[in-house]
Amino acid sequence: MVKQFTPKRQPLQLFKWAKGNMDVTFLLIVLALLTVGLIMLFSAGYSYAYYKYHDSTHFIARQLLYAVLGVAAMLFISKIDFNCFRSWALLGFAGSLALLLLVLVLPEYKPGFKRWIDLGPITFQPSEIAKIGIVLFYAWACEKWHKRLKYDFKMQLGFVAIAGLFSLLVYAENHLSGAVLMALLSVIMLFIGGLNRGWFIVLGILAAAAIVLLWAKPDLLKSYMGERITAWLDKDYDPTGARWQTNQSLNAIGSGGLLGQGLGESKQKHMYVSEPQNDFIFAIVCEELGFVGASLILMLFALLVWRGFVIALKSRSRFGAAVAMGIAFQVGLQTVLNIFVVTDTMPNTGISLPFFSYGGTSLMMLLAEMGMVLSVSRHSDVAKK
Amino acid sequence: MALKPSKMMYKRALGVLSVLIILGFGTGMVRLAKLQLVDGEMYRAKAESQQLGDSSIQALRGTIYDRNMRPLAQSATAWKVFIDPSNIKNEKISKLSGEEADAALQTRRELVADGLSKRLNVDKEEILKKAAKSESGYQKIKSEVTLEEKQQVSAFVAENKLYDCIGIEPDTKRYYPFKSLASTIIGFTGTDDAGVEGLEHEYDSDLMGIPGRVISAKNGAMGSMPIEYTASYEAKQGSSLVLTIDEAIQSMLERELSKVYTSSQAYAAYGLVMDVKTGAILAMSNQPDYDLNDPYTILDEDVLKKIDEITDPAEKNQAVSNARQAQWRNRTISDTYEPGSVFKVITLAAALEEGTVNEKTTYTCGGGIQVADNYIRCHNHRGHGTQTLQKGLMNSCNPFFITIGQRLGSEKFFRYFESFGFTEPTGIDLSGEAVPRAGATYHSRENLGISQLSSCSFGQTFQVSPIQMITAIAAIANGGKLMRPYVVAKKLDSEGNVIDETQPLVRRQVVSEKTARQVLDMMEAVVSDGTGRNANVAGYHVAGKTGTSQKIGAGNGKYIASFACVAPGDDPQIAILIAVDEPVGQINGGQLAAPVAAALVEGIMNYMSIEPEYSDKENKMVEVSTPSLISKTVSEAREAAKQKEFSVRVIGTGDRVVKQVPAYGQVMPSKGVIILYTDDRAEETVEVPDLTGMRLSVAQKTANSYGLNLKIAGNAFTGSDILSYNQDIAKESVVKYGTVITVSFKSFSGVSDSIYG
Repeated sequence: MVKQFTPKRQPLQLFKWAKGNMDVTFLLIVLALLTVGLIMLFSAGYSYAYYKYHDSTHFIARQLLYAVLGVAAMLFISKIDFNCFRSWALLGFAGSLALLLLVLVLPEYKPGFKRWIDLGPITFQPSEIAKIGIVLFYAWACEKWHKRLKYDFKMQLGFVAIAGLFSLLVYAENHLSGAVLMALLSVIMLFIGGLNRGWFIVLGILAAAAIVLLWAKPDLLKSYMGERITAWLDKDYDPTGARWQTNQSLNAIGSGGLLGQGLGESKQKHMYVSEPQNDFIFAIVCEELGFVGASLILMLFALLVWRGFVIALKSRSRFGAAVAMGIAFQVGLQTVLNIFVVTDTMPNTGISLPFFSYGGTSLMMLLAEMGMVLSVSRHSDVAKK
Repeated sequence: MALKPSKMMYKRALGVLSVLIILGFGTGMVRLAKLQLVDGEMYRAKAESQQLGDSSIQALRGTIYDRNMRPLAQSATAWKVFIDPSNIKNEKISKLSGEEADAALQTRRELVADGLSKRLNVDKEEILKKAAKSESGYQKIKSEVTLEEKQQVSAFVAENKLYDCIGIEPDTKRYYPFKSLASTIIGFTGTDDAGVEGLEHEYDSDLMGIPGRVISAKNGAMGSMPIEYTASYEAKQGSSLVLTIDEAIQSMLERELSKVYTSSQAYAAYGLVMDVKTGAILAMSNQPDYDLNDPYTILDEDVLKKIDEITDPAEKNQAVSNARQAQWRNRTISDTYEPGSVFKVITLAAALEEGTVNEKTTYTCGGGIQVADNYIRCHNHRGHGTQTLQKGLMNSCNPFFITIGQRLGSEKFFRYFESFGFTEPTGIDLSGEAVPRAGATYHSRENLGISQLSSCSFGQTFQVSPIQMITAIAAIANGGKLMRPYVVAKKLDSEGNVIDETQPLVRRQVVSEKTARQVLDMMEAVVSDGTGRNANVAGYHVAGKTGTSQKIGAGNGKYIASFACVAPGDDPQIAILIAVDEPVGQINGGQLAAPVAAALVEGIMNYMSIEPEYSDKENKMVEVSTPSLISKTVSEAREAAKQKEFSVRVIGTGDRVVKQVPAYGQVMPSKGVIILYTDDRAEETVEVPDLTGMRLSVAQKTANSYGLNLKIAGNAFTGSDILSYNQDIAKESVVKYGTVITVSFKSFSGVSDSIYG
C-alpha cells in the first residue's frame, strides 16, 4: 500500500480553463431530457398560456430562450477547471445565505409566499441558488476539514447546524418541499462527506419523529402547509380547493393508461390541472405519453443520476466527486419528490420537475449545474480515450 | 495533487444512489403503474365525466290542433337567460382586497341585477339573491324570453362586457294563437314547459317529447375545448293532438255564451256542442274563461271588482288564487247542476220504452198534484187542462211528468237513470270529471221514495254534470245509443303520422231506436210550438227541451236556465246544451238559453253546409238571389224585381239602371228592396233605425222604408208575443242603401216552464 501524501494546499482560484474531454454520455442525457422537457412544456402549457395570456407560445418562447442561454452557460462552465469551484463554494455559501435572508424582508412577489426575488424582467428563487450553494459548500468543507470532521464534535455540530439553518430559512419562505429538499440534500452531502454515522441515526430519529408529529397534527405547520398535509391525508378534503390540483393530476395520469392519449392530446391540461406547465407537468406527460412514455422519462432521469455517480466514481478529486454526486443526487431527489407529489404519494408542497417545469432562471441554474458535472468529468477517468 | 475520494465516500454514495433509485424512482414507477394501469379506467371515467359537457336540447312540445288542423296551442323557439354568479368577480376585483373588493363586487352584482331586471321584467331583489350565490355557476333568471328581450339582453351584455356572467341559451315558448278559445279544455303550461291544466296537463307526457343532448368537450373553465368532439342525440319532438273541437263552432259557442253571460248577469254560463253520432265534442265552453297566454290574469271584471274591495292582504291573495282556480275550471265536466225540465226527456224516453205510457196517454193538469204530504204546483197555476203526452212535454207540465214517473216506479226509473249514464262519469278524455255519488249528487235506488221519485221525474233534487246531460240527450238523437264523449280525435307524431286515433265508443243501447224517434218528434214539437220555440231555426226542425231549475242548497232565488236540443230534427247531427247559472231577472231556459241554441244551430248548420228544409210557412221568408237588373229600363227592372217578390227604389235621373245594390246574384231575404241607380252618382247612405222591440211585419216595413233589407234570425214564426231583440248593425250607424241587417226575434210568452218565473 502506497502511503498517502498529504495533499498540497490548493490555491483558491476564481477562473482557469479546464483540460481534458468531457463525458459525452452525460451531455447527451442532459440534452435528451432538455429536448423532451421543452416539447412537453409546449404541449402541456399552450392551452393555459392561451387562456391566461392569449398567446399559446407564452411559456415555450421564454423557456426556449433560457434553454439556449442555459446550454451556452453549461458548455462554458464545463470548460472551466472544476478546482475553481472551490472559490465559488465560499461565494455561493455567503451569497445563498444573504439571498435567503434578503428574500424574507423583500415585498412578497406572490401573496403569502416569500420565495421569489423580483428583478423586473426576471424573477428567481434564492432557494435554487442555495441548493447549488450548499452542495459546493459541503463538498469543499468536507474535503478541507476531512480529518477534523472525524473527531471535532463542534465542527460536526456546526456542519449540521448550517444544514438546519439553510432548511429553516427556506421553510421561512413558506416553501416546505424546498426545505425538505434542502435538508435531504445537506444530509446526503454530509453523509458522502464523511460525517460520523451516529449523526445520521440521530437525524433519522428526529426526522421520523417530525413526520409522525406532522402526520398527527398538521396544524403545527403554517396554515397553508398544514392544509396541504390535511388534503393529502383526507382524499375527500375540499375537492374544488386544496385537493383540486391533485385530483385533476390523478385524473390526468390515470387517463394516460399504458400508451397515453398521444402527444398534444391531453384534455386535463385544458383548465383542469391548474398550472399544467409548472409543478404538475408530469401529470400531463403521463396523460399524453402513458405509462410507457412516463417510465422512459423516469429512466432517463435515473440514467442521469447514475451517469453523474459514475463521473464522480471515476473522479480523481474528492471535491470533484462530491460536487458531481451532490448535483446528480439533487436532480434525482427533486425528480423523485416531484413524481411523489404529482402521484399523490406525498403532500402537494410545490416542487418543480427538472428540465420540464416552466421557469427560466431555474432552468438556467440547472444547466449551469450540469456544466459543473461536465467540468468534473473532464478530470475524471470516465471520458478517457 | 488533489485529495482523492475515499472508499467510504464511494460506499456511502452507492448507498444513497441505491436508495434514490430503488426507493425513489422505484416507488414512483410503482405508483404510476397503479394509477395508469390498475386504476386508469376509473380516473379516465372521472376525467371524461368532467370534460364532457352535456347540454340538453329541449324537445319542441307537440301542437294541439282543432279538427281542421288549425293550431290551438303551439311551441316556438324562445330563449332562457341565466347568470354565472361565480364569474361576476372579474380580474379587477380579484386584485382588490378586503372591503374594497366586497364593495366592487356588490356594484357589479347591482349592475347585472339592474340591467336584467329592466330588460326582462324580473324582480331585481330576486336577481341579486341569485347573484350572491358566488359558488354557483348557473342561476336561471328567466325562461321563455322573447326575441326582442333577448336582443336587449345581448346588447346590455356587449355594452358592459358581461360575457362571462350573463348567458343566453335556447328555450321554447308555448303560445295560444286563439287566446281564450277553448281555454278550459286546452289548459296551459308552466314555466318549465310542463302542462299545468287541461289537455296540456292530461296529455303532458305525449306532448312533451324527449329532450335531446349535445355532448361536447369542455375545458375546466366551462369553455369549449380546441378539440373536435361533439356527439348529439336529437331531441324527439312531442306528439301532437288533433282535437274534435272545431275552432269555428267553438268561437260561435263562446261568442253566444259570452253574450248571454253578460246580458243575464249570471254567475257562469256553460255550453256544449256534440256530434251525436260519435260523441265527439265539437265545442265546449264555460264563461267567464281566461287567456291561455296569460292564465294568471283574472279577466272577469266583476270578480276583479270584488277582489279589489278586499283589504286584508292574505284574504286578497286567497281570493285571487280562488278566482284563478275558478276561471281555469272546466265547469262543463267538473260542475254539477239540477237539470230541471230538460230531464223530462229522459223520464219520457224511459216510460215510452217500458210502455208505461204511449203517444195516446193523456193527463189533465189542474195546476198541481199531491205527492205524499206535499202539494206540488205546476208552473201554470191555472193548470194546463187535458194534454196529450206530446202536449205535456211542450207545456213542460210538472204534474204530468210526476205521474209518468210514478207510473214507471222507482225500480225502472232508476234503471234508466243508470242506463243513461247519470250514476257514472261519462269517461270523457279530460281530467277533472265530476264523479256522481249516491246520496250526494243523486238518490240511490233504496232512497228513491215517492217524493224523491216524483221530484226526480221533472229533474229536481239531484245533480248531473253538463257533459252527462248532453251525452244522454245525444243518445236519444243517436237512435238510443249512448256514446262515450271525447275531445282528442288523434295523436300525431312529429312528422304528422297518425299514431293513435280515438274510435267512437258505444257504451250501450239505452232505449230502442223507435222510442228515441218518438221522443225526438215530441221534442221537435217543443221547439216548433212549445216552451222551446225560441230555438226555432227555419228549415232545421230543431228538437229540444227547456229547463229552469232551482239550485239546491244555494239559497233561494238561484236558478239555472238551460236548454238542450238536437238538429236537424229529421237526421240529427249535433246536440247542444246551454246552461245559464244564476241569471238575474229573466230566469227561464226558454227565454235565456233557447235563443243562444238557436243562434248556434243556425250558425253551425250553415257552417256544416247542411241544407235546410223549409216548411210552407218558412218558405215565404226564404232567401232568394237577386236578379240582374242592370241596363234594363226602370220599368223593366221594376217588373223583373216584382216577379221575385222584390221591391225597388230608384235613385237618379236616367232611364236605364246603371247599378244595383245588392248586386246581381246576392242572396238576400225575400220581400227585400233593391236600390237601382240610373246615373253615375255615388251610392247613397242612410242612418240605420232602431229595429228592436218590433213585430216581424213592423220591422220589415220599417227597414224597407229606410231602403234597407231585413234578414230574420231566431224564432220569428212560432208562438205569440214575438218581438225583435237584437240587430247586427247598431242603430244610428251609417250604411249604404240596400244593406242587409240581421234582426233576431224571439217569443216572449209561452216559453215558461217553471213556477219560479
